[in-house]
Amino acid sequence: MLRVDGLEKRFGGLAAVQDLSFEVEEEEIFAIIGPNGAGKTTTLNMISGLLAPTHGRIELAGRDITALSSAERCHAGLGRAFQVVQPFPEMTVEENVMVGALYGTPGTGQAEARRLTAGALERSGLLPLREVPAEELTLLQEKRLEIARALATGPRVLLLDEVMAGLRPAEARLAVRLVKEVRERGVTVVFIEHVMPVVRDLADRVLVMDYGRPIASGSYREVTADPRVVSAYLGAEDGDDDDGGGAGTGAEA
Amino acid sequence: MRRALPDLLWTLLLAVVVALAPGALKGLFHQASVSYLSLASNAMSLAVLALSWDLLARTGQLSLAHAAFYGAGGYAAAVLAKLSGVPLFLALPLGGAVAALLALGLGSVTLRLRGIYFAIATLAFAEVLKALVQELPTGIAGGAAGLNVPPLFRPHFVPGAMQRWEIAYLRNADYFYVYGGLLLLAILVSVVVQRTRLRAAFTAVRTNEAVAAVMGVRPARAKLLAFVLSSALVGMLGALEAERLGSVIPDGTFAISTTVFALVTPIFGGLYTTLGPILGAGVLSAIEETLKRTFAEGYLIGYGLVLVASVLFMPRGLVGLANRLRRRRGPPPAGGAGTEAGLAGDGEGR
Repeated sequence: MLRVDGLEKRFGGLAAVQDLSFEVEEEEIFAIIGPNGAGKTTTLNMISGLLAPTHGRIELAGRDITALSSAERCHAGLGRAFQVVQPFPEMTVEENVMVGALYGTPGTGQAEARRLTAGALERSGLLPLREVPAEELTLLQEKRLEIARALATGPRVLLLDEVMAGLRPAEARLAVRLVKEVRERGVTVVFIEHVMPVVRDLADRVLVMDYGRPIASGSYREVTADPRVVSAYLGAEDGDDDDGGGAGTGAEA
Repeated sequence: MRRALPDLLWTLLLAVVVALAPGALKGLFHQASVSYLSLASNAMSLAVLALSWDLLARTGQLSLAHAAFYGAGGYAAAVLAKLSGVPLFLALPLGGAVAALLALGLGSVTLRLRGIYFAIATLAFAEVLKALVQELPTGIAGGAAGLNVPPLFRPHFVPGAMQRWEIAYLRNADYFYVYGGLLLLAILVSVVVQRTRLRAAFTAVRTNEAVAAVMGVRPARAKLLAFVLSSALVGMLGALEAERLGSVIPDGTFAISTTVFALVTPIFGGLYTTLGPILGAGVLSAIEETLKRTFAEGYLIGYGLVLVASVLFMPRGLVGLANRLRRRRGPPPAGGAGTEAGLAGDGEGR
């Protein structure tokens, strides 16, 4: 469904991502994990067209999308929720989702967009909040809004960037259920995550990155048993205090 | 478009007012109606300028090039008038078209620029265009001395049956109708942008271009559309003003003050709304005229003080102030109700 081949991104002399290839099957939930600075968000940015790769090729459902703009990739079926939640603060919750519904698929009429919006709000539990200005939402609600907006664009592949970060365990469980429901509707999910129990509960397969390179891939059990992965995480933990919760859970796992 | 209905009804009401105003003013104020019509035309001109600038600002493009498009429209009218036999009213669509084409060119180049860099690029464009027009052979654009523009309306003078002021009244009433028509057009464009899917695209692009793109909005298309619509309106205004004033001259027609009024008025009235720029134009025109009559010398100091105070005390303009007052007086704010609903929503989720 999503294929990344020989992806590389250099910022000057620094390679943020290199030699990255992977393939995600249809309706799979695929996790990308790794210490901070491993190149995970850079990878998602290249997939969604916000950064141009230095080398490599990205395919969505067999179609080469490497040269397409972000908007064209969205039209081709790629949805994205951001790590730092970025709602349009002046709009209400409903208007935020409506942007994705109206523009996610070319040719969507107002009535159809309103139906898509209602569906996305319903699924993400935001229906009672639809009239609320997005700037008044709590973090959990903002995260739901990120997912609702992405869902409203009608994605075949949904990219989620650390949607669990900052959530309490009970909230994270709700979010996990939401992602599973999304997959049950036939959407392929690629997500970045630091909270290891979430990765364990959600991911069919896990790709581990470190210093911009893939170091392991396989099931959750396989990668967490891999000595390279363990050392990457333990090595990263000393200087890593801005993300204590996530890394801590990682070490426990 | 259903949500646009109230707006369209207000616009229709305004059209009726415009249609009846000259006759009513003449009946009420006789000779004084001549200057009232002229003042009203000035205010409507400011409203068109403000609406068009706001239209562009809705996509986050804070332009300092409005004087350029206004001037381009004015010069288009002047050059057109030199060709004999062309009906003068064609100057309006032509001025709009010339300005729109220029905007398409400038807009494509400035697509990647944001904030202050965009502003500086547009300011530079305005200065370059002014210099270019001034340096063109005098046979084409009249050089630094400019060109004369014949008036759009000739007085329909009935010898003996009319007084002098009545001739001026007829002329001013004719212009008043054209300004009114242009204002209605600008309002319609603004309402359509505000009440269709375009609003979602414009607001999304203004707030966060990258996120908008990831959600399928084409930022380049939205920004160029806003630029072209905005400039077409200003170009028509420039052409009309050139015909009313009777001449174009680089220093006046491309004056930076046009740009300043274009941005000050919607900020004073309330950005990203249809009502704000219109309200701003009306109130600022009234303040300016009152100050001018009270202190003939140095009234601009008072005008400046009003603007400074407005930025300090009404950060969201007149419309924002009105919303704040209404919320204070009315039932508890929508935000409060929303938070309660939010809690309820969370409860259901668990």
